[in-house]
Amino acid sequence: MDLSAYEDYAETLEALDDEMRFEYLLDIAKKKRREPFPEEAMDEAHLMHGCMSRVWILHDIDEDRHYFRGHSDAAIVKGLVTMMTDSFSGLTTAELAQITLDHVRRLNLGALTTQRQVGMMAMLKHLQKLAGARPGFPSGPGAA
Amino acid sequence: MTMGAMTAASAVREMPAHGRNTYDPAAVRADFPILSRTVYNRPLCFLDNGASAQKPQSVLDAIQHSYASEYANVHRGAHFLSGAATEAYEGVREKVAALLNAPEPETVVFTKSVTEAINLVACSWAEANLSAGDEIVITQMEHHANIVPWQLLRDRKGVVLKVARVEDDGRFDLERFAELLTGRTRLVSVTHVSNVLGTVVPVAEVTRLAKAAGACVLIDGAQGVVHQPVDVQAIGCDFYAFTGHKLYGPTGIGVLYGTAERLASMPPWQGGGDMIETVSFEKTVYAEPPLRFEAGTPPFVQAIGLGAAIDYVRALGMEAIGAHEHALCHHAMGALREIPGVRPIGEAPDKAAIVSFVVDGLHSMDVGAILDRQGVAVRVGHHCAQPLMARMGIESTVRASMALYNTTEEIDALAAGIRHAQKLLA
Repeated sequence: MDLSAYEDYAETLEALDDEMRFEYLLDIAKKKRREPFPEEAMDEAHLMHGCMSRVWILHDIDEDRHYFRGHSDAAIVKGLVTMMTDSFSGLTTAELAQITLDHVRRLNLGALTTQRQVGMMAMLKHLQKLAGARPGFPSGPGAA
Repeated sequence: MTMGAMTAASAVREMPAHGRNTYDPAAVRADFPILSRTVYNRPLCFLDNGASAQKPQSVLDAIQHSYASEYANVHRGAHFLSGAATEAYEGVREKVAALLNAPEPETVVFTKSVTEAINLVACSWAEANLSAGDEIVITQMEHHANIVPWQLLRDRKGVVLKVARVEDDGRFDLERFAELLTGRTRLVSVTHVSNVLGTVVPVAEVTRLAKAAGACVLIDGAQGVVHQPVDVQAIGCDFYAFTGHKLYGPTGIGVLYGTAERLASMPPWQGGGDMIETVSFEKTVYAEPPLRFEAGTPPFVQAIGLGAAIDYVRALGMEAIGAHEHALCHHAMGALREIPGVRPIGEAPDKAAIVSFVVDGLHSMDVGAILDRQGVAVRVGHHCAQPLMARMGIESTVRASMALYNTTEEIDALAAGIRHAQKLLA
């Protein structure tokens, strides 16, 4: 499976110290701000519940591959969402199901704040649910 | 516990009788081991005390002593250790009664939290005494713990929930509140101090008005008992609830004060051991209050820890603590007003040391995360007060809540952290 975007993020983060990781995250968020997220998708149906800030995730399927776009009203979370949606877009359902919390742990964002890491893990589960890659959980928008 | 009293005393030994001008935060801080640690290689600047306060060594010692040397279940053992634990546990009732100026220890019911205390009143007193159409008055600034139990009751009994307005600046308007009182008002349940705005509600006047209307009064003192002396007899309320962990004590222990008359009239709300006189399959006779409301093995170690916390704050003096925190709050409000783009939420004239604010263009969570990286611990979000957020037209705030060990330097670190966040997120 193609995890090149994920590997890029992981390797970059590994090379940075905590302070620089934090700024890197903000940079990702700031860059992403320039790519508008569809206004109409910022609704209840696309909301990921359980976050301290609001997070919306758009899910598309193209030739059996899942593509995600995300947005948040908080900049740091926007950076985290971007990292997750970039990392795990383009995978098949079976591939997505193989992504584990260890992938999130490897990003080592827990060193920034543990709450962020917990949020990232919830985000991974959310992406998997949207893609139907989490057996036993209903899929589709709003099913989280 | 003796050690604890000594450490607290060391902080106040230079104090004259009223001690207002010689309160020494540095000496106080030395009593709290966690305050000397760092986070992200920076000194910890702990301004999230409204959520839960840190513990002095004397509280940690009391818990350790209880488990290590005086541990056995309370109320039932025919042996030395059970007697010692029971004596220590019941002794805390006296300490709580002294803290609140309650007339007798039997008016003190131990719960696990304020939330449980309010649910106790809802499930016992209100369940037995309220019927469809009866009215309960709360305010817009209540914590969810003083909203949801009444909504559950509304669903069960058909009671009516009325909500007193909070002014734009966070002020509690007594006249508007009085307008809500009718012949059907059976309960007024209000916070003593808003956990978001810091507003101090004039609970004695509220109680006077409520009593004149024939209503029972419950005060949520979660934030109230922490920042100022509380006298339940002077307030005249029927119930007053507070929690241990915000008062420098352990988690898992709370208090419901109730007048002897109210408690005596109330049915139990949970059944089990410890709350009975006799049990047979035909008939069970319940214990007198307070044990009637303490089914099962109580959190007696936590209660003993709370006793040590009460000893600690009383040794410093609630007046002195209140004066210190008031000065911090004044300093914080001044510092926040100086930062362009920062808007304090809650500027009532009578305000405890809880400071909420929003920063133009920035999400509270981002501000909180950047402050965190500076070593400044605050809370962000809706603070379990979503209806208040809606009233104020905001979704969340950053909240700095101060405690007896905070310093003006920490407030300055908060202000510098906010400026840093503005720069970083611009």
